[in-house]
Amino acid sequence: MEEVVRPGGLSVDGRLATADDATLVAACAERVPGAFQALLSRYRRPAVTLAYQMLGNREDAEDVAQEAFVRVFQAIPRFRGQASFSTWLYRIVTNLCLGSRRRRRATVGLDAVREPRASDSPSRQVTEALLTRQVLAAMAPELRAILLLRDQEGLSYSEIAEALRLPLGTVRSRLSKARTAFRKIWSKLSETGEEQS
Amino acid sequence: MTCTLYEEQLSSYLDGELPARRAARLEAHLKTCPHCQAELTALGGIAGRLRAVSSQIEVSHDFDRRVLRAFGYWHVTGWQKPVKSYLKPLVILALFLLAMMGAVWHFFTRPLGPPVPEPRPAVPAVAPAISGMPAPPVQEREER
Repeated sequence: MEEVVRPGGLSVDGRLATADDATLVAACAERVPGAFQALLSRYRRPAVTLAYQMLGNREDAEDVAQEAFVRVFQAIPRFRGQASFSTWLYRIVTNLCLGSRRRRRATVGLDAVREPRASDSPSRQVTEALLTRQVLAAMAPELRAILLLRDQEGLSYSEIAEALRLPLGTVRSRLSKARTAFRKIWSKLSETGEEQS
Repeated sequence: MTCTLYEEQLSSYLDGELPARRAARLEAHLKTCPHCQAELTALGGIAGRLRAVSSQIEVSHDFDRRVLRAFGYWHVTGWQKPVKSYLKPLVILALFLLAMMGAVWHFFTRPLGPPVPEPRPAVPAVAPAISGMPAPPVQEREER
């Protein structure tokens, strides 16, 4: 049987690796060997990335993502598919980030960011990454969450409404507020940085 | 309509979530307002900045194992898998050995030859004397 090994993960059966989410969820509910690994392999990175951008710390982010996956896997037999699997997972990750004792201001860490490649322009890349992290850390957690779900993870408005349990109108207005806040803080920090240099 | 009211619509316009009539009015405004044009460009660049950072985030190599171990999934650990796969044949072998031992035990403990009838209890030729009564006379055989 063909096996696919992805970086940072276990080998996954080739057919499971290409199955859609609904099929994998059903397979998990029936405890098909390899189904959990396939889902984990698919959503490991988005979950950790979302948590990292929310919390600004790799260790906390992986802890939250781990807890989210454990909750999801335990609840999978009861999952009826009202929302998509990804929306369900994002909701749990976001709620854990917002609700846990980690609900402090996000730190500005780049511990999980890889070293720049030789072809990159290191200074510009690191500066922009650091500035982005600083802007996110300065935003209110609720605004940060909705911004990340839309602009990083690419969820639709209705998926965000489902994930955050918000009316569609609130999603629209809060996202507008979040983008404006990001833009203003970015401008402010950029100006401060230019003055210092 | 002032720029402030248009600015509130820029985010929805960016995502294609603005109703057609409002979108048309906003587009007409954008043609004449460099401030709102710049704002739209800035808002549109946020996704790219976030994705540039997120694409550089790396996940620990043992993340999957930690998750599956925390979940209690037996497939995760290297040593549990062989145990699981060897368990079934081991049980079958144990049952087979037990059956064989039973058969051998039965073979060596079974009785040899046809069953021997138990001896009947000896019946006394003379009824015992009842106390207080004279014993019946015994006929003596004439000896030749």
